[in-house]
Amino acid sequence: MTLAQAGLPAAMGGATLGHYLVVSAILFTLGLIGFLTRRNLIIMFLCTELMFQAAGLALVAFGRYHMNFNGQTFVIFVLTVAAAEAAMALALVVLLFRRRESLDAEAWQDMKG
Amino acid sequence: MGQFIQPFLMFGLCVVGGAGVLLALPRGGRSPQVLGALLAGLVLGVALLVLGLNAGHEHPLPYFYIFALTGLGAALRVITHPRPVYAALYFVLTVIATGGLFLLLSAEFMAFSLIIVYAGAILITYLFVIMLATQAPEEGEIEALADYDTSAREPVAATVAGFLLLALLTSFMFKGIPNLRPGELAPAETLLADMPRLIEQNFASHGLLKSGEHVVLDSNKHAIITEAGVKVTGGQGERVIAKSDWPSDLEVTNVERVGFNLLRDHPGTIEIAGVILLMAMLGAVVLSRKQVQIDEEAKRLQAMRLGDNSGGAS
Repeated sequence: MTLAQAGLPAAMGGATLGHYLVVSAILFTLGLIGFLTRRNLIIMFLCTELMFQAAGLALVAFGRYHMNFNGQTFVIFVLTVAAAEAAMALALVVLLFRRRESLDAEAWQDMKG
Repeated sequence: MGQFIQPFLMFGLCVVGGAGVLLALPRGGRSPQVLGALLAGLVLGVALLVLGLNAGHEHPLPYFYIFALTGLGAALRVITHPRPVYAALYFVLTVIATGGLFLLLSAEFMAFSLIIVYAGAILITYLFVIMLATQAPEEGEIEALADYDTSAREPVAATVAGFLLLALLTSFMFKGIPNLRPGELAPAETLLADMPRLIEQNFASHGLLKSGEHVVLDSNKHAIITEAGVKVTGGQGERVIAKSDWPSDLEVTNVERVGFNLLRDHPGTIEIAGVILLMAMLGAVVLSRKQVQIDEEAKRLQAMRLGDNSGGAS
């Protein structure tokens, strides 16, 4: 059975595994930098979602390369965890905002041990 | 696959890209953000171009470049835009570009579920909270950007750490990728045996099955597929439809393969995912039900403000 018979293009969208991994690595790095530098609590959590995207892209690319569908299955669970994280994080952000009337992460600096 | 890119060139690109991102981060208007963003974008383009040239005969399709550049450019705007709502909208663009890359990887189901779940559900929740937690400007006043949105925290240290990580990741990646060997697609027969109804419908629509005939099932309700073909039974007794006679559109799609993988190989994980979602829901309900104590003074002020508003409206 060839790839074309399975309805898959012969190459990974014309690019190699390395291309997708580089894009995924850069996306992850941007998410990390955003998480470290932004002070708005909501944007900080948005940046974690960026990192989830990068991880998902790497998983799907590897899954496609090895023809192993566990990669795509795992992205479903990454989506689940991302949804759960978004729900919890945003509930926390709303709670924190009600206490200090500010989204600034540095408003909570006094929690530093 | 060979050497992708010279290590020296790669580290150089990482340093220049880091400088670009550093300049693009908001620092209270004291930083040439546009210049930094342009520099970072230029480095990105050069990096992808060099990768494309070194990939040898496999020149990436333009779609890959379009989606990759859109996604990464939007990601850069997510982390640098001073207005949270715009940052969230740029994140939607990143999600759509990632969905496009998933399509190129022929993961259609994941591409669309990513767009539906992320752009459709999670981002709406984020936008709701952003709207909820942003004070509306007083009447006649231009909306001011919050200080915590316009100035970054420790931009130099964060960028250095981030691009150090990127340099490490890429150098290990390029070391390891040449040792990988692509896998083979599992033959469709093993999955088709689990789907006798699909085979029946496909054969019937091509006129291969006479009326009253159906695919023979074994004790596990699987179709019996041998070297010769698939066994069917009916009016004139058993016969075998040879593989050479199978219609060309009898195939297992990507979605069916993912579904089989999910439900047959990971049933326990689905249960755990359900529990995680339930716990997250309970947690969110408990957290957001918590009453925050407001002191009497604040309550009085709020009541006065509300009274003023209703008085003005009537």
